[in-house]
Amino acid sequence: MMLENRTKTTFAPALWWKKVSKHPFFGVFLSLFVMIMIRLLGDIGIVPPSVVDVFAIMWIYIIIGLGFTLLLGYTGLASLGTAGLIGVGSYVVAYALGTLGVSLFIAFILGIVIAIVLGTIVGFISLRIEGMYLAIITLGLSEILVEVFKFWTKVTKGLVGFQIERFPILGTIVREEQVYYLLVIGLILTMFAVLNIINSPTGRAMLSIKNSTSAAQAMGISILKYRLLSFIISTVLAVIGGMLYMAYTRSTIPNLWNIALSLNILAAVVIGGAKSIWGVSLGTIFIFGLNQLVFARIPFFATYGNASLFINGALIILVVMFYPGGIIRMFSDLSRLSKKWYQSIKTRIKEYRYGQD
Amino acid sequence: MDKTNTKKTLRIASKMDKIEKKIAYLTSYIDVLKHQDEVKVEKKINAWLDDQKENLLAYEVRTLSKEDYHQNFIQPKQDEVSKTYDLKERALRQSLKRKLDKADATQKEVLQKTFDENIATLHAELNEKLSEIEKELSVHAPSESARKEALKQYSDEKKKVSQEQQLLKESFEKEYALSFENQKARIQKQIDALKLKLDVLSKTHKSLLEQQENVLPDDVILRLDGLMMQFGGLVAVSNLSFDVKQGEIFGLIGPNGAGKTTVFNCITQFYKPTDGHIYYRDKRLNTIHLNDYIVHDVIKQGIVRTFQNVELIWELSILDNLLVGAHSTYQTGFFHHLFHTRRFLREESVLKAKAIKVLTDLNLLQYKDFYPLGLPYGILKQVELARTLMSEPQLIILDEPAAGLNDLETDRLIETIRKIQYDYKVTIFLVEHDMGLVMELCDTICAISFGKKLAIGTPKEIQSNKVVQEAYLGGE
Repeated sequence: MMLENRTKTTFAPALWWKKVSKHPFFGVFLSLFVMIMIRLLGDIGIVPPSVVDVFAIMWIYIIIGLGFTLLLGYTGLASLGTAGLIGVGSYVVAYALGTLGVSLFIAFILGIVIAIVLGTIVGFISLRIEGMYLAIITLGLSEILVEVFKFWTKVTKGLVGFQIERFPILGTIVREEQVYYLLVIGLILTMFAVLNIINSPTGRAMLSIKNSTSAAQAMGISILKYRLLSFIISTVLAVIGGMLYMAYTRSTIPNLWNIALSLNILAAVVIGGAKSIWGVSLGTIFIFGLNQLVFARIPFFATYGNASLFINGALIILVVMFYPGGIIRMFSDLSRLSKKWYQSIKTRIKEYRYGQD
Repeated sequence: MDKTNTKKTLRIASKMDKIEKKIAYLTSYIDVLKHQDEVKVEKKINAWLDDQKENLLAYEVRTLSKEDYHQNFIQPKQDEVSKTYDLKERALRQSLKRKLDKADATQKEVLQKTFDENIATLHAELNEKLSEIEKELSVHAPSESARKEALKQYSDEKKKVSQEQQLLKESFEKEYALSFENQKARIQKQIDALKLKLDVLSKTHKSLLEQQENVLPDDVILRLDGLMMQFGGLVAVSNLSFDVKQGEIFGLIGPNGAGKTTVFNCITQFYKPTDGHIYYRDKRLNTIHLNDYIVHDVIKQGIVRTFQNVELIWELSILDNLLVGAHSTYQTGFFHHLFHTRRFLREESVLKAKAIKVLTDLNLLQYKDFYPLGLPYGILKQVELARTLMSEPQLIILDEPAAGLNDLETDRLIETIRKIQYDYKVTIFLVEHDMGLVMELCDTICAISFGKKLAIGTPKEIQSNKVVQEAYLGGE
């Protein structure tokens, strides 16, 4: 007689932390926690203010990088015009707050409207041109924007840059530390939005266009619509990034928005992994954070400031050659490898102790 | 006059389409809800059963005979103990081996001696433990009559549990049924309202249709009328005309470079024909002039195609690939997707259920979470076929479905195509080089060569046609 009753149909409930970490928004809440912790530690004095500043700028670049993910990783379009668009965002806030004297909220709406218009223009261009040539055209657009920042002195105050005073949010003049929370809100909302888009028919349609335009068209996916959409989303996020940058630092100069920044954002997305929002975050930390948090403390890099660019370059070459999926892929590979090593070490020890079977 | 009339008809038809899609979505949503409830009830019942099993086990143990008890409870324990002792012995042996390699003759003797002693004590210990476990058996010594009684108790208990399970299931179902009925009634109300609207629209649509002159005979779904396609100076298709009848399997054959794929690309508007007309009758009997449509709108009329070399989305799983196939049936827009609204989540669950149904129909369910890269070619071809079914097509266009398949896979494919034609009531139009497949499957065959029609007819007629034989085998 078999004891059928001894086997259970359902297994014991999983550990609570395993359950929680499987939740799709777990990472978002974890990053929210990290971001707020950094600010609080800065308030206490454990983390120096300069480091908090570096992190704050990093959150902005992650917002921009997330927009770029949809463009590069999902729709498969490369753009080198990101920096100019960020600059537009910064100047919109500067002009609206500094010259017009309207509230930040209205400045944001204005910026988003401008972003949608710009995104539509670039999106229409992208229908005719692809690949390298699109990158060149967007680069040209970005350079035109920088020239506008330099010489439209009436609005942008030219080469000296634009500084604004402290401004009120919800009626009270705020300190820099409080603007930090604005960045946190911006990044968290962006993460939610991008995650939602990725896990929806829109994200799938974008991936289809990247994989096979003919299959996408045969399935009823309009190339025009989705290329335009991804350009508009990435432009809006870039402009929002620029506006948050201006709100945090309260100063902007044209030379900040050059091609090096566009390339760095491209590098961050490629190094991290263009298809995953955690990959992009990781890549941004590598490109923008490593330089200012780690290298700045090493005497060699302190004397030769640009030497860190070598490391960025080497990193790009290594990742593109050996990890086309980005650093984020390394984690899954590492966990698989470590499991394999653990098993092999275990069998070796067994053989030593007990002899071969 | 006539043109405005057709435009109006098409507008009404598209309105009807929207309403009909919504009705279909709501009806299938009811099924999804019911299924969700069933799953919930089953989970609860299973959890309850697990609790009961502990209880039942105690009863069952009492019914066991001595041998069974030994086999089920004593033997495993003994096995475990002897296994650990075996390992200990092996470890000792291994360490002795290592030491012997280094030792000289006198040491060897000593080592051997201590080893023998150790082994002896180990064996003694093991035997002691085994007999200790064996003693447990004496605790369980039921008499024959006691066993009988226990057996009766056990079966009673079992019956009780199953009865309770039935009761519990009913109560759970009742609990869920109330909210389900409420939801169902609400959805049914919506469906009824939509149906009323649909009736009104269909009446006006019918009257408008009657006013139009008919280009297509009633049983024709697709007509090519003098189709001409030129690429620069090269004439790929010239003056090609034929009819595809409703519900049949139509084959287009021809030697390499005859322009078969070009014909497909013209029908699906990947190429705009240089000259000629393509007429199509949709499910509302509107006659549609396909030349006026853009590529990505063709699928909305009910025409869907596959590709010669598999064009799946490599970065999406098979299930997601099928959902891409359903892209044209999504009714929610970008803002629903951005905020993952309830309407979108419902729609997604409905379409996922549909995708799983299609996959089960084609025996592909086990590949649902796989990525296409690395799956066999035959499976990928089937997945592409499954993807076409997601958009509720009228006419499926297959571009060389058997290319690159072995004989076994081709046989499976023939079965699948037949099944699709029968189950989903679609017309199938295919291009194929595999003559066996074409002759077995097709009702009508059209042979072309260098863009010109050679012959059209049943498989037998085509086989015996001299011109076709010449085109394939070369004249004289």
